[in-house]
Amino acid sequence: MTAPTGLGHHASQDDPRIMLDGQIGQYEQVPPYPTRTEREAEFYSLRDGEMFLNMGPQHPSTHGVLRVVLKINGENVVDLDPVLGYLHRGVEKLCENSDYHHVISQIDPLEYVSSLFMEWAPVMSFEQLLDVKVPRRAEYIRVLTGELLRIASHVLFQGWMALDLGGLAPILYSFIERDEIVEMLAALTGQRMLFNYFRIGGVNGDLNHEFMSRLGDWMSRALVQHEANIGLLNENEIFVRRMRDIGRLDGETAKRMGVSGPNIRAAGVPFDVRRAHPYSVYPELEFDIPVRGTGPAGGDSLDRYLLRLDEVRESIRIIDQCLHNMPDGPVMARLPRLMRPRPGRAWAAVESPRGLFGTYVISDGTDQPFRMKIHDPSFVHLQLVGMLMKNNLIADTMAVMASLDPVMGGIDK
Amino acid sequence: MDRSLKVRLAARLADHLAGPIRQRHDQTEIRIRPADMLEVMRTLHDDPDFDFTILADLAGVDTGTTMQVVYHLWSAKTPDWLRVIAEGLPREDPRIPSLTGLWPGAEWMERETYDMFGIIFEGNRDLRRIYMPPDYASFPLRKDFYLPDDSARSPGAGARHVEQPNAPVVTSKRAPRRTVRA
Repeated sequence: MTAPTGLGHHASQDDPRIMLDGQIGQYEQVPPYPTRTEREAEFYSLRDGEMFLNMGPQHPSTHGVLRVVLKINGENVVDLDPVLGYLHRGVEKLCENSDYHHVISQIDPLEYVSSLFMEWAPVMSFEQLLDVKVPRRAEYIRVLTGELLRIASHVLFQGWMALDLGGLAPILYSFIERDEIVEMLAALTGQRMLFNYFRIGGVNGDLNHEFMSRLGDWMSRALVQHEANIGLLNENEIFVRRMRDIGRLDGETAKRMGVSGPNIRAAGVPFDVRRAHPYSVYPELEFDIPVRGTGPAGGDSLDRYLLRLDEVRESIRIIDQCLHNMPDGPVMARLPRLMRPRPGRAWAAVESPRGLFGTYVISDGTDQPFRMKIHDPSFVHLQLVGMLMKNNLIADTMAVMASLDPVMGGIDK
Repeated sequence: MDRSLKVRLAARLADHLAGPIRQRHDQTEIRIRPADMLEVMRTLHDDPDFDFTILADLAGVDTGTTMQVVYHLWSAKTPDWLRVIAEGLPREDPRIPSLTGLWPGAEWMERETYDMFGIIFEGNRDLRRIYMPPDYASFPLRKDFYLPDDSARSPGAGARHVEQPNAPVVTSKRAPRRTVRA
């Protein structure tokens, strides 16, 4: 049989596992539906007074395309079952079929709210494979842009949080702040959302005039603006009452559930990769790790919300130090165009605005990674929703979920 | 590199190690057999000398000849990441105990690994597909699953991949063309 693609004979035509165009549809057997798991059987059996309610995947406040099956009793949520995969693109497989430079742009759209961090972890792990030393100026630029984006992400979280609770105005203020930061980074990188800025061995370009003048402008009013944004919501009684004592998470459970980032720090555990396992130039910088919810009961949704606001202040401190200590020098290490690292394994993790984001890379000596595992914090955090939501009201589902700040692009990979 | 961690691991886990302890950059790596996984992990988590309280990652790996499950752990007692590689799972029927007893948060990570590699985590109470639809039968991250639009070097170039019935059922005599010693 000739291949309809017109590419001539190819070894894959002999491979029984590969079906050519003419053969499509000739399945030998229909695969059996997998047997029900213990949890599935438990969830999909109803007791008296219970019913299922489907939420999503097009629900406007599910932070992307997430479907949640709620098991409700009246207004109370008895249990819930998140259904993922609506945004699954197989990024790990794509990375295994891209060369090392290309991976950066493949992995960029994973978490579209804070995409620089998605570039940072793989770039760091490739640098380990290649034994590259990154110039200090490049490290400072990475920290500077990263912390800017952390602020942009946390500010947006504030607005979304209010939107999920029914407040429309704060999101508009959030976008004023975020837009300014994003435009600033666009002046530096040429892109507004998916920056594709970090490179193996440095960053794509040096700081330019437009970026610096916009940054200086913004820095002069950043703290004042931040205090004003805090005033929008923190004293709003409806907002505070709907957040307090909802979705409590204690430190021990958080550790066992694999939680990281602001969510674990709001449960009283001071785990921040920037301090727990320092990378880049963070050891040289002075900043605090805000912690809330240190009591035995842990932190609630309000703690998680307030902790992110505390972090914005710390990020502004870091940016200030970066600008003062910025060294001169090159922003890229000298490297060949085509990278063929020796066979080996590397793991690198960064503290993204959502938590520990890490990549595990295996090299087989070619110019493409053999295996690229992406660990996304939102994926782990979404597991918590089922636990935190039990016996709360339906209307609070989105409030709890929003307080965990997941991004579906990262969850579905 | 934390030399003292290497010494402590070698002393405490001598019976379970399936290979030498390797250290590079900020990572320490141990290799164990899948059957010993739970015992090793319990030691690492509960022993106050180790105190690895945070499970940073759980990854499946298909080396082309065998399967692995790779865990990354963090502890306040050492500046290193600890990588635990449970190696030598057969590709036809990869099985390993579940870690959900120690870290309930591993449940979804194991579901993802099952979905992508077909590795069965015995004891996980919710081992079903998480990304792919439930009636899907292939395991996309296995090395014998080719992409249709691969770059020209790939054996899948120019042909459509077929979604196979469960990979463990159909065992091909030919190994995937890309393998690694990981």
